[in-house]
Formats: sequence, structure tokens, C-alpha cells
Amino acid sequence: MLKFIVRRIFWTIPVLLVVIFLTFTMMRQIGGNPFRQSERAVPAAVQRNLERKFNVDEPWYIQYALYVKGVATFDLGPSLVVRGRTVNDIVKTHFPKSIELGLYAFLFALVLGVPLGVIAALKHNTAVDYGAMIFSNVFHAIPSFLIATLLIYYFALQWGDIFNLPTSGWSTWRHKILPSIALGFGPMALFARLVRGTMLETLQQDYVRTARAKGLRYRRVVGLHVLRNSLIPVVTAAGPLLGYIITGSFVIELIFNIPGIGQNYVSSVQNRDYSVVMGLTVLLSVVVIVANLVVDILYGILDPRTRDARG
Amino acid sequence: MRTKNLWLWLALLVTSLALVAAGCGGDDDDEATGDGATTEEGGAPAAEQVITVNWGTEPPSLDPGLASDVTSANILLNIMDPLVVLDEDLNPVPHAAEGFETSEDGTTVTFTLRDDLQWTNGDPVTAEDFAYSWKRTISPELGADYAYQFYGIVGAQDYNGCDPDADDCAALADAVGVTALDEQTLEVKLTTPQPWFTQQVAHHSFLAVHRPTVEEFGDRWTEAANIVTNGPFQLDNWQHNSRIDIVKWDEWRNADEVTLTRVNGRMISDGITAVQAFEAGEVDVLQGGLPPDEISRLKETPEYQQYPGLGTYYYGVNVNNIPDVNQRRAMALAIPRQSIIDNVAQADQLPAGGFTPEGMPGYDTINPESPFLPAEGDMDQAKELMDQAENPKTNINLYINDSPGHREIAVAIQAAWQELGITSTIKQQEFQQYLEFLGPPPNKDVDVYRLGWIGDFVDAINFLELWTCESGNNSTGFCNEEYDAKIEEARETPDNDARYELYAEAEDIMFGEDGEMPLLPIYFYTYTALERENIQDTYNTNLLDQIDLTTVVVTD
Repeated sequence: MLKFIVRRIFWTIPVLLVVIFLTFTMMRQIGGNPFRQSERAVPAAVQRNLERKFNVDEPWYIQYALYVKGVATFDLGPSLVVRGRTVNDIVKTHFPKSIELGLYAFLFALVLGVPLGVIAALKHNTAVDYGAMIFSNVFHAIPSFLIATLLIYYFALQWGDIFNLPTSGWSTWRHKILPSIALGFGPMALFARLVRGTMLETLQQDYVRTARAKGLRYRRVVGLHVLRNSLIPVVTAAGPLLGYIITGSFVIELIFNIPGIGQNYVSSVQNRDYSVVMGLTVLLSVVVIVANLVVDILYGILDPRTRDARG
Repeated sequence: MRTKNLWLWLALLVTSLALVAAGCGGDDDDEATGDGATTEEGGAPAAEQVITVNWGTEPPSLDPGLASDVTSANILLNIMDPLVVLDEDLNPVPHAAEGFETSEDGTTVTFTLRDDLQWTNGDPVTAEDFAYSWKRTISPELGADYAYQFYGIVGAQDYNGCDPDADDCAALADAVGVTALDEQTLEVKLTTPQPWFTQQVAHHSFLAVHRPTVEEFGDRWTEAANIVTNGPFQLDNWQHNSRIDIVKWDEWRNADEVTLTRVNGRMISDGITAVQAFEAGEVDVLQGGLPPDEISRLKETPEYQQYPGLGTYYYGVNVNNIPDVNQRRAMALAIPRQSIIDNVAQADQLPAGGFTPEGMPGYDTINPESPFLPAEGDMDQAKELMDQAENPKTNINLYINDSPGHREIAVAIQAAWQELGITSTIKQQEFQQYLEFLGPPPNKDVDVYRLGWIGDFVDAINFLELWTCESGNNSTGFCNEEYDAKIEEARETPDNDARYELYAEAEDIMFGEDGEMPLLPIYFYTYTALERENIQDTYNTNLLDQIDLTTVVVTD
């Protein structure tokens, strides 16, 4: 297991180099001027000064080399547009908030979605099953920003007196409820369907019948054998989903005015803030890689079959 | 692994993840006390003088040398002390300076500072602070966008354009015409008599910075923990992308004139979220414009406010692609300005009869009231002129950028031009790519493009110099020597009335009876906002979208 982890960590480096190279090339290809943020043209002297200051006037391979060196020393460079802040600052201030949002959303999805799927599977083909599946299909289809807007409209505005929830921001625990729910609804629906599907399949298996024939209580059979084996596809989905939630939270961040990295990411691309775009892309790649690694480790724990196959 | 341990293990994993998330959440601020103004009946000042403003964006920089947007400008002008400010008629009046004098020939301006100016750390504010700050903004190392505002000062353009590796920049810095003659006297030498210079000094890029703080903290000197300011308010708390709070500074020279004790700032950029926050009572003012599709609904509410702005919304025409002046005049005549304002833009903007907006000093003289820019449009005359055009271009590309509201206006104009037999294809682009397309010189595919121009300072030259041959903001290809000559002459004409005449002549060249019509102005901007009723009387934005918080009073 340890060798496996070390090997995976080692492979992160070439992956990151490719990510940096691709992002670097793409950002340069789309043109634009990071030093011009309004309709006012930048006077030639000022443009030169800025290009000199940020090394944008160097040939592309020098810029690339400087950047890679920076990443290796964990210095992601200064922001070209927001003067006075470095990418490291931006990451330190905003990234934890995005992670927090993502984790709350993920927990919400897990805590609501898994039991929903279990109940639906156990009460297969009853009203409970159909109800649960319609519920989850509907919320999987509705985009998260629509759910967000509806939640704000009803729970923060219309029924504001009852619930006392704020419309936006991220300061107190009250602020964190609606965004987490809005972001977590889609994954919750996904988990519910996945768990239901695999449980139904597992319940048909021979060993389940054997266990019941041996006299084990139904509850123990379900809780112990069936659920554990049904969790494997959930874990498979959970890894990239966690990465997706954290990276895909920017719409929710925009609507709820949460100071995460999502807003920074989108605006830095629009503004052509090269260093911020590259820094955040590198960071998010690392997040996805780590999420996948965690999933693979959990896999090994949950499924002895894969454990034996690995070194 | 034993099954009992598995569940325990999973539960522990989930719990620890949650704890880590809560811990990693960082030190979230507590809700600042006193969010929101109190609302009671009556008209006397309320007991609690605290308001919450939504600025709409994070200020990219609170360094006067680097700030280039409205939010930063608004905060800076309230936490710092400018030498001059503009009164209701937009004339410069002394503020941190107790007086200023221009020499006979108009090229030397001397500012005399008050003697009670102080920084928040107790240091006195001296003329040397201003000299240092202005040179710092002009310096090539800072890379200031607004360095060009200083180009009217002797030596500034050379210093700004100097290459630190090649030239002797230190010598050029010494040659810049800004000197502190003594602690209270600042002398400025201009290249030509620029009558608007004293007005320009009201701009935030002319504010002073505290040298020891800048030298100690470098790029980070504007963080709330480090910053040293000298104005009526001071920076209390700045959480990037989240909130920025300023509090009254009790030791400011005229602190007894300031009623507000605290201004909390939010940075909600999404228009709908901002309106919802206002309706939930979480903010008291929405600065920075309302979402265009909400305006018709919000106009009916008592909190809606509208202010004229010093800006023009226009369509530029690529005169190389549409060379026939009759076609351009026809296109101008066809646009139903008032109808677009009433039905699409909906914020009571003013139909443009020229390029310089209303509110600009001298407007009555300058405004050409162009025969080709009637408020209602004149389709009959437009068709007549279109018939007279030889080889008119009947398939044109209309380029717009992707901010809200532009497409609806473009569609209305597209319909109007269709009646002339012109088929317009609307091409909408993301902003940075759009700017690249405009050049100048513009991409050859661009026939007509949309832009707006907001005034930096209050003189028409700020608008009219855009259309000179060499201007970096002229993407029309319009180049008229006579026009350039008028602008040059205006730079040398200190007498206001004579200068306004020159501006009128320049506008005439573009929009008069023999006007070239290289651009089609549509309307003059208004700024829309939502303000609680108990601050509406005193919370007023000026033509430059600036708010002076020292005048705001929360009533009961």
C-alpha cells in the first residue's frame, strides 16, 4: 500500500508539468491584454513598464521556465491585475472557504443521499421507492444555480421571519446552510440513485440469500454485508465528485457572494490575469489528484479484491 | 479489517473531515456590529449613524497610484484628503489645500496646504508627501495606469517612458516639474497652460501616500493592518472579496462636520443577489448600477434613485469600411434614441445630440444639437440620404461586448437599420477579445462597434481628444487635420469661453451640418441605485459617480 501511494505521488509531478504547459499555451493563445481592464487604451509607455515589471516581455520559454521554477518553490507569483496581492495570498485567503463549502455540500449529499438510496432499495417498487427516485431525478436535473435562487427566494426572503437566514455572504453558520444545500443537491441525487442501484444488485446476490438462510437478522445482513459492498461505486463516484464540487462551486459562490476561489478563477480568466489562472489551475489539479488518490486508498480498504491485486 | 472497526473508521473519517473543514474555514469575521441603518419615523438624525453599502466589486487596489476603477476611487476619496474637491458646479475648490494660484502664463500652479493636515499615525502631511507621491505614480517601476494623467507636468512623460536598464531615470525624476518649496507649498510646472489642471487634481491619482509606510510594507502597504491615511474616514477592516469597512477618524481636521460613524462595505457582484440583499435589509445602498432587466420593476419602488453621469454611450463606425458619409448620416438619423431609452435602457438617460455629455461645463456652447442625431430618429430623411449614397454597404457587422444590456440595444438598432436596407449581423464577444478586435486599428471585420466613454475629469477635452488621429482610443479610422488642430489649440487656451467655442467647432466637424459622423452617440449615462429612504436626502452621487460620505446623515 505504501509503495502504491508513493508511486502515485511521484506521478503527480509530470501530470502537473503537462497541466502547466497546456494552461500556459492556451492562455497565451487567446490573446488579450492583462494590463487593460477598461475601454481606456493603455499608453505605450505604461504598457512597456508593466510588461517589464511582470516579465511579460520575455520570450515564452523564459516565462515558462520562470513559472515552473516558481511553482517548485511554492511561489505562484504576483497577480497581474490585482496589484499588491500574490497568488499565494489569494489561495490562502479564499481556497479554504471553497474547500469548506465543498465539504459541507459533500456531507449533505452523503448524509441525505445514501440513506435515501438505501430506503428506496429496501422498499423496492413501492411508493417510497418511486417517490425517492422522482425526488432525486428532479433535483439531479435542475441546475444548481436555479436551486440556489429558489432557496434564497423562499427561505431567505419570503419566509425570512421564520428561518432567519441571510441571502448572501459566508460569515456565520447561518450563511453556510443554503449554499451547502444548493451545491449538495445534485450530488445527493446522484448518490441516492447509485446506492439504490448497487444495493438492488447486491441484494440479489447468492451470499445474501445464504446469510439469511443461515439465520442472520435482516438488518445485520443489510447493514453489514450489503451496504458495504454497495458503497464501492459510491466511492468511485465520490472521488471525482469531490473534485468537481470544489472546482464547480463558482456559480454558487457567485450567487451567494461567497469569497472562495471560484469568483477569482472566473474573473482572472476574463481579465487575462495569467499568474492567477495558472496558479489556480495547478492548485485545482492537485486537489483532483489528491481526491482520486484518497478514493483509490479507500477502494483498497473497502474491496479486498483490489487490495490483493496491488503490490 | 474487522467490520466493527470499519464503521468506526468511516465515522471517524467523516467526523474528522468535518472538523478539518470547520477549522480550515479560517477566522471568519463576526458580523460587524450595527449592520444596517435604523429605520424610525421622523426626520432628525438617528442615534445610530451606520450604513452598509454594496460597492459591487472588490477594489482592485487602494493605492492611489494604482487604483483605476470607481469603487477604489470612492473609498480612496473618503479615507484620504485630496488637495481640491469639486463643488456642485464641478469647479475645483480648496480642500486639503487652503488655496491655489495659477501664474499669469498659466504654466505654474502653486498649492498652499493647510497647516492642520495629519496622517493617522500622527505625522504631519507636508507638500513633500505630495511631491513624492506624484513622482512615484509617474515612475516607470510602479507601472501606474493613470500615469498619463500627469503628462501635462513638465518632464513627466519622459520620466514615465524611461527604461531603468537603459536611461538615467533618477535624473529624469529630478527633472519632473513637481517641487515642495517648503512644508506647505507645492509648486507644479506644466508643459502648456492647461486650464483644467486644477480640476484634474481632484482625481484620486493625485492623492498623497505615506512614504514610510510604503517603504516599509511595499506592495502590502494598503492592507488594513498597515495602511496610514489622512482623510475623514479610516480603513477598519478589509477582507478581500468579502467586505471592506471604514470608520470615522475622530482626529481629522474637520471631524465635527462628519456625522456617519461607520460605513460597512459589501462586495456583492451578482446584480440579482445584490437586489435580494437590499430587499432583505442587509444593505442600505446599492452602488454600482442595477441589473438592466430589473430596472423597470425597481423604478416603482421608493428606494430607486437615478443620477446623471458624465458619460456617453456610442456606436463607432469604421470609416474605411463605410466610407460614404451619406450612409453614416443615414444610419445616425435612423436610430430612435428616445424610444431605445424609454423601452430598452429604461433609466431616463438623455438622448445624445453630440459626444460631450450634458453636465460638462460649457455644454450649452459645445453641444452641436446635431441635425443627424434627433432624439426621436427621422426615418424619412434617413431613407433619402441612404438613396443618395453611392455603393452603400448593406451587409454590416455590428460588434458588441458581452455585458448585460448591449444586445437589446443592438437588436433595436438592427431593426431600425433594416428599414434602410442594411442587414446587420450582431457579433457579441468577451471583453478582452473585444478590445483586441478594436485595436486600433480595428479588425477589418468590424464595421460598427459599441463603446462608452466615462469622463476622468471635468473638461470636454477629456472626451474630444479621443477622436484625434493618433488617439489610442480611436477605432473609427477618422482622421481630420482640422479637428486635430482645434484640439491642440484648445490645450493652449486658458480662457474658458474661448475654449468652449473651440470645442463647439470640433464637435461641429464631427456632427454639424457637414459633419463626418464617424460615430453615432446614443445617450448620456445615468447611474441607477437603490437607497433606503432614511438616507436618500443626503446620499447623492455626483456626475463622476463619486459619493462624499462626510455629507451623509441617517435620519430617523
